[in-house]
Amino acid sequence: MEEKAVKKGIGWGGKTLKEMLEKKERLYNQTGSYYGLKQLPLAAADPLKLELFGTRLLSAIIAGREATRMISASPQIREIAELAVALYTPEGDCILQSTGIIIHIPLIGQVIEWMIQANYEEEGINDGDCFTCNDCAIAGMHTADVYDIQPIFWEGQLIGWVGTVIMEAEVGALLPGCMPPGATDRFVDGLKFIAEKSGAKDKFFKSFERKIRYGVRTPDVFLLNRKGSLAADIAVRQQMRKIIGEFGIDYYMAAIRELIELERRTQLERVKRRTVPGRFHSPSTFEIDMQRTGAPPHHAVNRITLVPWDFHIKPDGSYFIDFDGTGSWGWHGCNCSPSALLGAVCMALTQTISYTGKSNTGTFLSVTMNAPFDTFVNPGTRNVASTNLFAWPLNGGPKFMAQQSHAFFCRGYVEEVRCANTSVSGGAPGGLTGKDHYGRDYSFLSTEPAGALGGGAFAIRDGVISEGIWQPDTDMGNVEIWELMLPTLWLGRRLLPDSCGHGKYRSGYSLISTFMIYKTPVLAIQSGASSQTDKIYPNMGMFGGYSGPSSFMKLLVNTNSKHLIEGRKPLAHGIDRPGVSDLEQNIRGKLTVETKNLPWFEDITKDGDMLQCFYGGTGGGFGDPIKRDPALAKKDLDNGLLTIERCRSIYCIEARYDAKNEEWVIDNNKTNELREQRRKERLKKGIPADQWWQKRRQNIVEGRMPPLIRKMYNESLSKGKRWPGEFRDFWGLPQDFIFKEG
Amino acid sequence: MTGFSYPREVIKDLIEGKLPWFETKSIISGYKDEDRFDKYIEILQEKVPWQEKILLPLTDELYVVEKGVDRVVKCSCGHEFGDYRQNWKLKALIHVQDSKEEIEELYPYPGAPDPEYCEIREYYCPGCQSQIAVETVPFGYPMVFDFLPDIDSFYAEWLGKPLAAKKEFKDLTCEFIRQNWRK
Repeated sequence: MEEKAVKKGIGWGGKTLKEMLEKKERLYNQTGSYYGLKQLPLAAADPLKLELFGTRLLSAIIAGREATRMISASPQIREIAELAVALYTPEGDCILQSTGIIIHIPLIGQVIEWMIQANYEEEGINDGDCFTCNDCAIAGMHTADVYDIQPIFWEGQLIGWVGTVIMEAEVGALLPGCMPPGATDRFVDGLKFIAEKSGAKDKFFKSFERKIRYGVRTPDVFLLNRKGSLAADIAVRQQMRKIIGEFGIDYYMAAIRELIELERRTQLERVKRRTVPGRFHSPSTFEIDMQRTGAPPHHAVNRITLVPWDFHIKPDGSYFIDFDGTGSWGWHGCNCSPSALLGAVCMALTQTISYTGKSNTGTFLSVTMNAPFDTFVNPGTRNVASTNLFAWPLNGGPKFMAQQSHAFFCRGYVEEVRCANTSVSGGAPGGLTGKDHYGRDYSFLSTEPAGALGGGAFAIRDGVISEGIWQPDTDMGNVEIWELMLPTLWLGRRLLPDSCGHGKYRSGYSLISTFMIYKTPVLAIQSGASSQTDKIYPNMGMFGGYSGPSSFMKLLVNTNSKHLIEGRKPLAHGIDRPGVSDLEQNIRGKLTVETKNLPWFEDITKDGDMLQCFYGGTGGGFGDPIKRDPALAKKDLDNGLLTIERCRSIYCIEARYDAKNEEWVIDNNKTNELREQRRKERLKKGIPADQWWQKRRQNIVEGRMPPLIRKMYNESLSKGKRWPGEFRDFWGLPQDFIFKEG
Repeated sequence: MTGFSYPREVIKDLIEGKLPWFETKSIISGYKDEDRFDKYIEILQEKVPWQEKILLPLTDELYVVEKGVDRVVKCSCGHEFGDYRQNWKLKALIHVQDSKEEIEELYPYPGAPDPEYCEIREYYCPGCQSQIAVETVPFGYPMVFDFLPDIDSFYAEWLGKPLAAKKEFKDLTCEFIRQNWRK
């Protein structure tokens, strides 16, 4: 007599989740279609019903997200919406997602898949359970982003999951803040939740709450965020049950598969209709100064890492990103990972080509990557710190968006073209610790730059002011709310003149904020945690436009500000033009200028000290600057964004100030002369490319470049398979060429 | 949406950055017009002072054009850069911003790029001196071949209009260097 399997799973149709996962993967591998769907019967029979169904799911997810914003304690959530919510299949594939920090959407799915593979089902998964994860060895962008995940059951069967991500400002690491620069291994980079069951019956366990209470420096914020997150999950789950009640469970289970397959097909079709196939190439670098972070001596190694990549748009409409030639990973928290790369792809595609609100796993199935093991994009150990895995995706990754933009341009969809910008918290107080203005032990960070960066120029207009590409509905937040959380008073938020990526169309401008340290006797400050672009700027401009500037911070301690306030004298509010800073002019004190990110300022600040932050990472310009429309330059002059000196020297536009009418007047004749003169200068200073090649080749053969650059190239030459050959071929070097070091 | 289309004048204004923002926004938010590429090429072809057929715009100044059985990169001024499969920058004029003064002109605040580590390369057209590209790359990095289009696949498989003289989809940059620059 044939023995029947007696084990009953919690999944759909009595299957185990593992069986469901294996089946889903098998069907995709066999057919190339999601869940093996060759036909889409629901879409064919009643497309409007499927559309309505999808819209209902999406509105439930968005409503859940908004509920969280109202509950959460952190200004990062309430003010700048550092959260996102998504709905998943039983196997962990994203069906639909909210807006927000969408970089995490596929990664929450990876956590679900990991739990299935790790046999969580055997340990018990019940209706009302909550699972919490921030361990990037499983999936994630950094420890600060915490995922709270709940299963969705229908009549005793698990039919899906809902997940919410919230970024925490303090995670209980070796050093305060959520991105401690001196943490080099995972054991000190923050409190870890290894996809642990954190609650049941829609309540967190007391033990989980105690772990947070004793494990992080700002437990109230952390706990309230967890409750906000759980509220979103419950709200979405309740709505799902309502929707299932309306459409029927059979329809639900079939429709979620069709929505993913439909999106997979649509994404391929979009690519074919909006781009041009071919190969794009771009290098980017990642600089890290570990010697000033308090890292242990064997990890306190400064390095520059090269990440050259090829981006292919293939004739079948799929994307392939090849990271061959990427240099070594290091003992710091800013390496990348395949999981983080997938997050970056989600962030990019959802905002540029799959922006209809239907982006899901189907979108990402069309992208494959080569992230070689034991490199910066795929470290050879899981023990390395993961404080900033998103650092490179946000520094170099946006160039991928610009490459796709290049393809839009070639196809004629110029309105979709925009240059890249690094999208990081460069120049921000990445860690603040000491005492706050209420006299309590304190640890936090500011994510004000989320809405403070200048966006890349477009092909048909200037870039936008105030954005952060990782956060589609970005916002700087209200100063008054930040001031409740940070022991700093905002004295000014301004745009920094002459600080864009110049071009025929310029990038947006980034903001500079000026603060007075407020009512604290002791506050240590770490510079922005993720923008590692100090000596080498990323290649952000397009078609003759320049990259925008990087960030900087100025700290003034031991000031006479109290005396100035008493005397009602001017303080500092911003910088009105290069070389003229009211911080240095109006206030006495010890000044430190910091252009690197990660290090702590050596001076400890106190009430009355001053801090000024330029949130660089500004986007690239588009086109030849001397082709800029003088009317656009006039607008910038009138608005105080552009000085006449740079208007002349970069755009070759002459203007005079009409004091009576308080406006700038363009001198067209002189402008034409300046532009003609610039063309002649270019003819004189531009040398034929072969002359440059001979000269630079000689530099390379003789190794005449800084040691860090030689080391950077050697790492890539030893790690790569394709790229080293191309490098050596271009320079006519022997196939075993490496730079001499030391 | 099948057959969705915008009037030619709208596309022309859009390309030139003259379309009012609310109309531009509605195009960004709306359905994409399927005949965009044809209209785009038609408009661009009228703008350039030469006769060769544009196969693909490469940048706002450069085009891949049909020249007999060859396909070459051509500037809007008429200057030619050779086979589209070799990086057009090989035949451009290049200037590297390597002085502190030049770099501070562009980046006047703390944290400007360090020319020992970073090259800011400007590429000019020898014909009209337009600045066609700027590269900001680590010192010693090869010229960046921004985009090698797969033109035959594009025309045959995506547009359904195969081109007559098929070219191998292959980067010929290093071959050019080997034959012309290496001594």
